[in-house]
Amino acid sequence: MTSYRIPEKGRVNQGKPVRFTFNGASYVGFEGDTLASALLANGVHLIGRSFKYHRPRGFLSAGSEEPNALVGTDRGPGRFEPNTRATVLEVFDGLNTTSQNHWPSLKRDIGAVNDALYMLFSAGFYYKTFMWPKSFWNKVYEPIIRGAAGLGKSPTTPDPDTYASRFAHCDVLVVGSGPAGLAAALDAGKSGAKVILVDEQAELGGSLLSETDAGINGQSGWQWLEEARSALAAMNNVTVLTRTTAIGYYHQNLVGLCQRLTDHLPNPPADAPRERLWKVRAHQVVLAQGSIEKPLVFEGNDRPGVMLAGSARSYLNRYGVKVGNRPVIVTSHDSAWLAAFDLAEAGVKVAAIIDIRPNVSGHLMESAAALGVEVLSGWTVTGTSGRLRVASVRANPVSRSGVVGSARTIACDALLMSGGWTPSIHLFSHTKGKLDWNEEGQMFLPGEATEESRCAGAGNGVFSLAAALAEGAAAGAAAALDAGFAAKAASYRVDGELVLTGANNRELPTDRNTSKAKAFVDFQNDVTAKDIRLAVREGFKSIEHIKRYTTTGMATDQGKTSNINGLAIASDAVKRPAPAVGLTTFRPPYTPTTFGAFAGYNRGELFEVTRKTPIDGWAEQNGAEFEPVSLWRRAWYFPKKGETMHAAVARECKSVRESLGMFDASTLGKIEIVGPDAAEFMNRMYTNSWTKLAPGRLRYGLMLGEDGFIRDDGVIGRLTTDRFHVTTTTGGAARVLGMMEDYLQTEWPDLKVWLTSTTEQWAVIALNGPNARKLIEPLVEGIDLSDEAFPHMSVAEGKICGVPTRLFRVSFTGELGYEINVPARYGRAVWEELYRAGQQHGITPYGTETMHVLRAEKGYIIVGQDTDGTVTPDDAGLGWAIGKAKPDFVGKRSLTRPDMQKADRKQLVGLLTTDPNTVLEEGAQIVLDPSQTLPMKMVGHVTSSYWSAALGRSIAMAVIEGGKAREGETIHVPTPGRTHTAKVVGTVFFDPENKRLSA
Amino acid sequence: MLHEHHPLIGREIAVRKVTPLNIRAVADGARFVLRIDPAQAAQAAKAFGSPLPGKIGDVTVSKGRLAVRLGPDEWHLVVPLTEQEAIETAFAKLYATVPHSLVDVSHREIGIAVEGVAAMLALRSAIAFDIGGMPVGTGCRTIFDKAQIILVREAEDRFRIEVWRSFADHVWGILDAASREIALGI
Repeated sequence: MTSYRIPEKGRVNQGKPVRFTFNGASYVGFEGDTLASALLANGVHLIGRSFKYHRPRGFLSAGSEEPNALVGTDRGPGRFEPNTRATVLEVFDGLNTTSQNHWPSLKRDIGAVNDALYMLFSAGFYYKTFMWPKSFWNKVYEPIIRGAAGLGKSPTTPDPDTYASRFAHCDVLVVGSGPAGLAAALDAGKSGAKVILVDEQAELGGSLLSETDAGINGQSGWQWLEEARSALAAMNNVTVLTRTTAIGYYHQNLVGLCQRLTDHLPNPPADAPRERLWKVRAHQVVLAQGSIEKPLVFEGNDRPGVMLAGSARSYLNRYGVKVGNRPVIVTSHDSAWLAAFDLAEAGVKVAAIIDIRPNVSGHLMESAAALGVEVLSGWTVTGTSGRLRVASVRANPVSRSGVVGSARTIACDALLMSGGWTPSIHLFSHTKGKLDWNEEGQMFLPGEATEESRCAGAGNGVFSLAAALAEGAAAGAAAALDAGFAAKAASYRVDGELVLTGANNRELPTDRNTSKAKAFVDFQNDVTAKDIRLAVREGFKSIEHIKRYTTTGMATDQGKTSNINGLAIASDAVKRPAPAVGLTTFRPPYTPTTFGAFAGYNRGELFEVTRKTPIDGWAEQNGAEFEPVSLWRRAWYFPKKGETMHAAVARECKSVRESLGMFDASTLGKIEIVGPDAAEFMNRMYTNSWTKLAPGRLRYGLMLGEDGFIRDDGVIGRLTTDRFHVTTTTGGAARVLGMMEDYLQTEWPDLKVWLTSTTEQWAVIALNGPNARKLIEPLVEGIDLSDEAFPHMSVAEGKICGVPTRLFRVSFTGELGYEINVPARYGRAVWEELYRAGQQHGITPYGTETMHVLRAEKGYIIVGQDTDGTVTPDDAGLGWAIGKAKPDFVGKRSLTRPDMQKADRKQLVGLLTTDPNTVLEEGAQIVLDPSQTLPMKMVGHVTSSYWSAALGRSIAMAVIEGGKAREGETIHVPTPGRTHTAKVVGTVFFDPENKRLSA
Repeated sequence: MLHEHHPLIGREIAVRKVTPLNIRAVADGARFVLRIDPAQAAQAAKAFGSPLPGKIGDVTVSKGRLAVRLGPDEWHLVVPLTEQEAIETAFAKLYATVPHSLVDVSHREIGIAVEGVAAMLALRSAIAFDIGGMPVGTGCRTIFDKAQIILVREAEDRFRIEVWRSFADHVWGILDAASREIALGI
């Protein structure tokens, strides 16, 4: 294979070859190559097929803006990644890559038939083509389109890599390390400010790496770059991050950076994170993002071998690769001439420079003549030929009056184009900073900033090297100054720089039928100029609509090379100036970013906090199944070997009712309320009255919101006159404490009372069953457990198993019950002691499911399950919990509203299904008349539903409109396949006289 | 007394490289949340037997006692276990004249020491605010990844985390992950 590498040229390490594969074929590149430069050095231009028409495509660019050259990379099992841009992918020994979007092979692709059927795929084709018959959509069109569409193949196995994240703060963040960014970082760094300089590429330098004509301060560009790098490395206050893309600019100078840590390494250390997401809060930001070259829009501008002139220059000067042996240049900007000159000077035969402009500056013409390059100025390009690689270009003269003359065909193996340069304003645009339209340059420029930021260099429309250095230095110094450091902008002397100008174009003029021309605007989404014109003809006037209709700019490259051309054509078609047609909004991330980087450490075990109780380990060792309850994981049930959930729960329920069960209630929220005004505060926060609750007694407390609806509940103990031990629901703990603090701080700062969360201070073991007292009697010290001294709803402090306890006599099951609070670190040991001692009573650990069944048998509600934020105490049958004599409590006033007292409010009732074996589905809707026409009037829904082992049948609770008055009536529950009937009953199914509580 | 179960005791994350890092559970102490009218803080300091920090965010360390002022009326106190009873008794006496709230949260929290040249780097993996700007001898309540913690900067390179028991594993897991990067120097 012919090598296109020029020895001794470029920055790649030509002494360090690396071997990699593309589509199974093995190639050799050099350390420092991208996949693109390495393949080009091997003469490979064909890199993939296009998205819609499956047209052969080559490298358009040499940077992150690349729309065509998307490849799959395979770094081993689970490490396949689609859509990696070959122009930024660094090659290393053993890299395996494949092309995309073709079958059976890159060179022979069946899908290319789409190219011949292009009439079907015009703008909005999917809205038009696949409308009828409607029934075809789900079964035929959508699966076929989904199968054929999509970029690359999704990986099928979980990503084995790890990802990291880090926060950082700095005085000045500089984005981009071209001349402007370097100058900014140097001056900000010299001031002593804490500086972070980031660049997406593997090495600093930006355009200096590719454009080697000018010198700085008497040195060559590369010499100056080397010095600048050393200077930055020597400053302890400067952090330089390469391979790091600033992906998004968020409020208050928060900039997201994605740093690629290991992708470029052949053998990354085991466990090394692949990428790190930096969240940088910068005092000042300098954006020096540079600019992106504009393609020209003409028929056949997407053929492999047609690429941006500036990129060809990068391949030559930076990588030592000539992109062809006989290139033709087509341009409307001076900069492409420099690419031609560099190539010619490197010994490449430049076949012609075709300039759209009739007049080009004399010194360019002279240089071209001196290098023996033919110049066709005032010419246009009207087509290209070549199946998998451009073979010739069709060029025509254009007269002063615009008449396109007869064509001439020029043989070539590369066509290098330039339509000028577009400033990269992406990050500035993320901040919603104002954009100003520059009519002369046909570009948007950063206007007034909304953040503490400055733009410099080509990204600010300042394209000359001298001006970019000056502006960068000024921005760096000013940023440091604003961050509080004394700074001065350095001045730079630039030698040998040419003043470059250009003209702007829409589609190039042609002598051919424009309605058939495939002149591409968006290479990645296969959008042509005629698609945009068609969209306008069909009535779309705003770029946002045109974009969505044609999909221009909507691919993974976000239109980096296409937006401005698309806008120019749309603006011409709409006959309105470009800013009136609008610019599409840039959104983060700047370039495609892995989900892994965003997830960071939060995957697997660290995906989310999993709170575990002190007893959790025991439950795990004893075979518990778990369920999540807010952030906690709780033991759900304890199946014995081979036991179903149904059987386990029935066994656990039976055990509690007949002898003894133990339950880990540690997740209950707990708040210690202390102070002389504690009872008054409780009176205001809860519906109940607390004044008369004696120390040593418990009371069920009900909490409402201002709106009068139930928010939380729990059993509350008065330990002393001034000290309450409040319990809340598991999920409501933080919310309740927050609400209490809010009222205390904003409404009643006069109250002398203070709150402390004690949720995690205490492990809580609930013992329930007729043998509960028998079990703890010998283990408790300092508390008389007799029914007289310690009746139901009592609390006392003493010791159990030798450790301090707050012992509650309370029951959420209807059985004799205790909640044993012990300091958390003793929880597991006390649990184990009780379990051991309880063997004589057949003690049975039970989980949340059994707890739910047992409480439902007693009609005890669960806030959040039987209530949904629209249930009043009266609706829930808890009117008795309201202290009627109290002057006020949160929600009291709302309860007097007429709407809250209507008879047809949804009220909590019990349900008994006609078929006792039917367990209704929770959430099922309830209707009164099952034969009414659809849609039926739904009068409520099932809130809780279980199999009750104690009753030998199913039970359920539901909220039903006017439910209390319907006791005895039959209601209907339509479910898929069958409508169930049930009788409305009271909510207490088991032991309605509460005899067992005091057993 | 029964055996106590400490989630992290005995576990250690140690990096012995150019940037050393040591992360370990600290020995248990008695802990209290003290809430009191700031105008009466001086009397509380008397009962405590050591000065209480006067500025929000300040920390005092004296005779093995740590006090962090977390808010206008809130102090987090960590003392040797042997002093728990005496402090409770002193505050109980104070209550008659100066009402306040002293609540034992000894078992609520786990203390984690993060020490070494790379300590700040490890913490920056999951703490959003500028730890570099945190003076030695200050502390605050903050968020570590998704967990609420109290962070105290005890020395230039030594930090103490106080975190609720059930969040400790998560905090430890993130520190462990971050320490691998530090060990690799990546």
